[in-house]
Amino acid sequence: MKSLHPLTWWIWSLLIVGAVVSANSSWLAGISIAGATILVWRFAADAPWARSFWFSLKIGAFILIIRTLVGILIGVPIPGTKLFELPILPLPSWLAGVRIGGVITQERLLSSIHEGLIIVAVISLFGAAVSLTSPHKLLRVTPVVIYEFGVATVIATSALPNLVQSISRIRRARLLRGDENPSWRSIALPLLEDSLSRSLELAAAMDARGYGVSRKRSRYRPISWRGIDSVVVLAAFLILSFTLAVFR
Amino acid sequence: MINFSRVSLVYPTSTKTILEDLSFEIAEGEMVLVIGSTGTGKSSLLRLINGLVPHHTGGILAGDITVGGVSTQLVRPGELAHLVGIVGQNPAQGFVTDIVEEELAFGMEALNIAPDVMRKRVEEILDLLALAHLRNRAISTLSGGEQQRVAIGSALVMNPKVLVLDEPTSALDPIAAEEVLSILHRLVHDLSLTVVIAEHRLERVIGFADRIIHIAGDGSAEINLPEEILKRSEIAPPIVHLARALGLSDVGLSVREVRRMTEEIRASGKDIPREVGQLGEIAIRTNKLSLTYGEKKALNEVSTQIHSGEIVALMGRNGAGKSSLLTTLVGINKLSSGSSEINGIKSVDLKGQVRRETVGFIPQEPSDLLYGQSVQGECQQADRDNQSAPGSTFALLKRIVPSINPETHPRDLSEGQRLALALAIVISAQPKVLILDEPTRGLDYQSKALLISLLKNFAKELNRSVLIATHDVELVAELCDRVIFLAEGEVVADGPTLDILLSSPAFAPQVAKVMSPRPWLTVSDVMRAVAE
Repeated sequence: MKSLHPLTWWIWSLLIVGAVVSANSSWLAGISIAGATILVWRFAADAPWARSFWFSLKIGAFILIIRTLVGILIGVPIPGTKLFELPILPLPSWLAGVRIGGVITQERLLSSIHEGLIIVAVISLFGAAVSLTSPHKLLRVTPVVIYEFGVATVIATSALPNLVQSISRIRRARLLRGDENPSWRSIALPLLEDSLSRSLELAAAMDARGYGVSRKRSRYRPISWRGIDSVVVLAAFLILSFTLAVFR
Repeated sequence: MINFSRVSLVYPTSTKTILEDLSFEIAEGEMVLVIGSTGTGKSSLLRLINGLVPHHTGGILAGDITVGGVSTQLVRPGELAHLVGIVGQNPAQGFVTDIVEEELAFGMEALNIAPDVMRKRVEEILDLLALAHLRNRAISTLSGGEQQRVAIGSALVMNPKVLVLDEPTSALDPIAAEEVLSILHRLVHDLSLTVVIAEHRLERVIGFADRIIHIAGDGSAEINLPEEILKRSEIAPPIVHLARALGLSDVGLSVREVRRMTEEIRASGKDIPREVGQLGEIAIRTNKLSLTYGEKKALNEVSTQIHSGEIVALMGRNGAGKSSLLTTLVGINKLSSGSSEINGIKSVDLKGQVRRETVGFIPQEPSDLLYGQSVQGECQQADRDNQSAPGSTFALLKRIVPSINPETHPRDLSEGQRLALALAIVISAQPKVLILDEPTRGLDYQSKALLISLLKNFAKELNRSVLIATHDVELVAELCDRVIFLAEGEVVADGPTLDILLSSPAFAPQVAKVMSPRPWLTVSDVMRAVAE
């Protein structure tokens, strides 16, 4: 599974998102969340970016809860089976048409959950695409113009953890000198010096390794589109056409 | 291959001449070692070879340097990338990408080399440096030795004629250092690569060097065979000091040579009585101390006691949990279970002034402790912190390094002076326990001798305890009474220095290897044994 083209999962997730949105069915949304979970659980590499799916699920759950609460508390009442009733919050007269509280019906609850689920499905499908694709691989299939920019981004992202490390190291050293609440100045100065010397070091290393000497850059291990990629994309495409045909 | 003709170098902000009228030639397939005290310009000399000095640093360069016939003055460093590979002092700071394979390919991509050629070369390097099983790993998860190998690999992958290394083993444990050096040795012999290497710990590299460039510090430099240079040089590995102390006619460079010369001494030397010191009260006590980072166990049920007046070394591979133990002792880490206390105070309760007066800690980068604008400012801050008489910290510092200028910015101090300043600040609070993490990294022999005498005084005269995490077996042999050996977060050996160091060949100091099976660790041990 490792050898899939980096764009495959992105196209796949876009198509499935299209299917979920066009079908507007919470069943399909639920199935696609479950499917994405299985795919990530089964195929994601053990890498930092693979965690983004679980993170997106957490965000999704959070949104679902907030969305449902807001949906049943505020808004237009939908008639139907009454579940329970909340006191109506008195609002000033210029907010006419908005109501907080009131009768909570089963229909109102279900429609809130339904809309929430579709949002969660969209988020988790994007999360799955991020998790299943190495950003470095993705970078390698981008056009050359963006590529230069991308190389800079990769360097910046690998420098960020260093910065975080330096901050905690220096904070620790301040604590050790018995300074329980180190001032920003006493941390910022060594940090600035530290990151400056690091970046100079990095620039020297890149210079010594020939960065920027040639106008053109070649790419290590060009990535090709293969049969399995077409199969995955085609499957997603079929699902989309099916939902378009059936739920119209 | 490398040709320096009448080279002089001056940096713009300094009046000191770094190099003056230096001429030498290095042939293809030679391994040349650059030695000199800290701050004498070893790194500058190395960076002159690929033009990083002065192209990247500024400075005035007179004379001409050519590498493989190309003058470094006329081209940018990047245009020499296919000729000269350079590996910096701290490889982690030079990594550009975060996956091993991509790091190896980075330089070739920049030079627009065809993908199939790149694939082939990367495979070759992965095999050559035994990195194949790490190819898809994130670099940040590798050990120090592996990172050093990746750095060497990413320089070698460009097929350079010259490889330049700045202190390649300073951060490595003895076994990882041995591994890196033997790879270099093989490259010199198999591929006729020219290697220029700067290193403080001569005992590690001296056996591999064909010639030595000795930078004196006043601008002059000498290039000659190792035997010739080491006959006179102040900077010398322990076996050379041994040969001098014993009055041998020749200096041997390998353990084997010196063993042959000292057969008689091994046979006739007397046993030296073991000193059994009185143990003081317990200063550090840990009981079943465990610490976990995420799912990784950094420390696993460490139980130990350290008494006052003891100097203890904490040894073990890179990543064995040494730093974790030290930072837990001083109360920075939250422990998962067990207990640790210093002088009866729980580590986690150490705060502010109490911490300062109980335990002094010198981190791996002593400069982390410093944030003042001048040496004077730092010392005054320490005086205020400790409510001691103004000038007392500076007086202490003066005793350690008499030549220090109070107006200097801490960043501009040499490695040894910076450590001295950090030590003066920490000791001025008169802590009961002193803890140091890798203090000899980047220190020359002179600063190391100073550190040893300072710590000995602190421990023995004031009856305080010292705990040092280090890879430096020579330091341990000279200084420590006891060694605690950690592996995978567990204590695997704990005992007198003599027993621990002699039990494993990789950790035995040079003198002990020469004198094996007699239990003498240092030159002074041997001298005591042969004295009538």
